[in-house]
Amino acid sequence: MKNITRREFLKASGIGIAILGTGGEASFAAATKGRRVVVIGGGWGGATAAKYIRLADPSIEVTLLEPSKEFISCPFSNLVLSGVESLKRLTMGYNGLRKHGVKIRHEAATAIEPDKRRVKVGNDYLEYDRLVVSPGIDFQWDQVEGLDKAKDTVLHAWKAGAQTVKLAQQLQSMKDGGVFVMTVPPVAYRCPPGPYERACQVAWYLKTKKPRSKLIVLDANKDIVSKTGLFKTVFKDYPNLEYRPSNKAEKIDVGSREITTEPGDKVKYDVINLIPPQRAAAIAVEADLVGGDKRWCEVDHVTYESVKQKNIHVIGDSTIGLPVPKSGNIANAMGKICAVAVVHLLSDKEAPVIAPGNTCYSWVNDKEAIAVVNSYKIENRKVVQIEQKLTPGKSVAVAQNSLAWRASIWSDILG
Amino acid sequence: MRKSINLSIYFTAFGLMLLAFNADASPLDSPGAFKALVCSACHGFGGDSPGSTVPILAGMSPAYFKKAIKDYAEGKRPSPEMEPYAKYVVEAGLDEIAAYFAEQKKQSTRIKSNPAAIRRGMAAAGQCTVCHNPQGEGEPEKGFPDLRGQPAGYLQAQMLLLKEEKRKLQDTTLADLKQKVLKRLSDRVIADLAAYYSSLK
Ligand SMILES: Cc1cc2nc3c(=O)[nH]c(=O)nc-3n(C[C@H](O)[C@H](O)[C@H](O)COP(=O)(O)OP(=O)(O)OC[C@H]3O[C@@H](n4cnc5c(N)ncnc54)[C@H](O)[C@@H]3O)c2cc1C
Ligand code: HEC
Repeated sequence: MKNITRREFLKASGIGIAILGTGGEASFAAATKGRRVVVIGGGWGGATAAKYIRLADPSIEVTLLEPSKEFISCPFSNLVLSGVESLKRLTMGYNGLRKHGVKIRHEAATAIEPDKRRVKVGNDYLEYDRLVVSPGIDFQWDQVEGLDKAKDTVLHAWKAGAQTVKLAQQLQSMKDGGVFVMTVPPVAYRCPPGPYERACQVAWYLKTKKPRSKLIVLDANKDIVSKTGLFKTVFKDYPNLEYRPSNKAEKIDVGSREITTEPGDKVKYDVINLIPPQRAAAIAVEADLVGGDKRWCEVDHVTYESVKQKNIHVIGDSTIGLPVPKSGNIANAMGKICAVAVVHLLSDKEAPVIAPGNTCYSWVNDKEAIAVVNSYKIENRKVVQIEQKLTPGKSVAVAQNSLAWRASIWSDILG
Repeated sequence: MRKSINLSIYFTAFGLMLLAFNADASPLDSPGAFKALVCSACHGFGGDSPGSTVPILAGMSPAYFKKAIKDYAEGKRPSPEMEPYAKYVVEAGLDEIAAYFAEQKKQSTRIKSNPAAIRRGMAAAGQCTVCHNPQGEGEPEKGFPDLRGQPAGYLQAQMLLLKEEKRKLQDTTLADLKQKVLKRLSDRVIADLAAYYSSLK
């Protein structure tokens, strides 16, 4: 008979408890002492990390904090505005993670206490040996005058969900001949090509359903931020789309339905989609994980451990400093790499060096898409790009590949 | 005391299970597994692709895998997705990553094709057997891919790329032959052939 060490035995007994239910807490706690991970945020980064830690080492106790009971994909949510996609098909549950033994609490973390290595959840505390923080972004409402008090009606739809559906309704009920205005925030923001994909979807919808209407894109940046050449070509398909670079939203007046931009232009709208400037989500800012810019978190490129706090790893859109975009694909890659690092570090082993990868698809009408693909390597513990490649143009084939991508990556995150 | 009782209960109840269960085994144990983590964004975990247009890598012959990667990396096989990732694979360790996917158990695609299309494809498949063998298993070591169970969307896309000469086989004699065969086929027959080969186990 195989000689089972106590550690191996305890490790396996974790599975026993899953079957027997309660009664085994004492031995389970013994097995997981020094091996507890808390993950904040069950989005693209956090859900991936929680799952992969359990895949790599099922003896580690993983608790995921996520207030939402459903995972709603931001990727493809621009297509909900044009009616090409439904929000329902972008909505998934967390049962897959439970099957991997991730403990899920549908609550928000309200504070992080790095010195005590614990996270506050309501009146309760959760202790951790390592913490993974993937809370995404929050908006800087104060950067646009008048926005803070108008934010219930002036929609961003930049976190997929109720706002996405509401903005789609506003677009659908706009009279033909109306003006839809959307604003692009200054870099860095979530999903660099996202606003331009959205512009294409809105322009396509207006062109086919409300041909006398117009879309005005007010971009805070000097030029299209991502896939510039490809989007410029595609924009030619939409004579109803007016693109104005270097036009940062400064002020919104919902009474006169008017937006003022930095050069002082005033633009009237029937429907407004104001995507505000962004920073790392509140919990990361409050825990002082952000750098000198007070907006984004800097991390080690191999372990994703915060450069400011030991035993705290930050992944996804909250991070900056790597030459990677704030994309779901990157958050997923960071989740996997960080999971492997955490598992190694908890066993006092050195984390292996693994590079991320990125692909961002953008649908430019109801059936065609374009894409940008980046591969990376690690040099001297820093992420360095190997190559960036763009699709030659828009095509149905690329759109089909994006559907294969989403099937695969959603199951990589949640399955 | 309580702990030791607990332990012994578990030991009895799960003794058999423990024997079969290697406490240290993880699906990420293979040396190539970490380097292949980026691939699962499109090819599924362990190369078990759930999508229609991205190929299954699980169980792929290492020789064929390496040839495909080199062709992408050198721009001989066009794919905006795979060119950068192929360069990554070469950089990160071609042999280890090829070995990792070869170790994974292959399952045919879960996407079902239309039965009528499969029947029509079977009837039209005779002309493919010279190179791809009667059951579509090919000779991957020599560069003839195993078509069985690959998703239909992927097979169809490759046939169309070859027919339209957007993708060219490296061996010129084979390239000519392949082109001649495919040129004769309508896009409809190509779709049927894709359905047939994807239905094979
Ligand atoms: C319109 C649009 C289109 C996009 N298209 C693409 C695309 O095609 N491809 C692509 O790769 N990316 C795309 N993205 C970007 C992608 O959605 C993000 O990069 C990705 O979601 C980032 O993952 P994350 O884990 O950092 O954040 P999120 O996925 O936003 O997850 C953060 C989670 O943390 C939770 N949270 C926040 N605070 C707390 C707290 N205090 N306690 C507990 N939980 C908390 C939130 O509820 C949320 O669920 C798009 C984004 C948008 C807006
Ligand atoms: C963004 C999505 C994406 C990612 C990520 C990706 N691939 Fe691919 N892969 C594809 C697509 C699409 C094809 C089909 C391309 C074509 O038309 O030839 C493909 C084809 C392949 C093939 C050819 C298979 C055959 O039967 O000829 C191999 C091998 C391969 N990929 C390996 C990898 C490896 C290894 C990785 C990770 C390092 C990876 N891919 C990452 C999308 C992706």
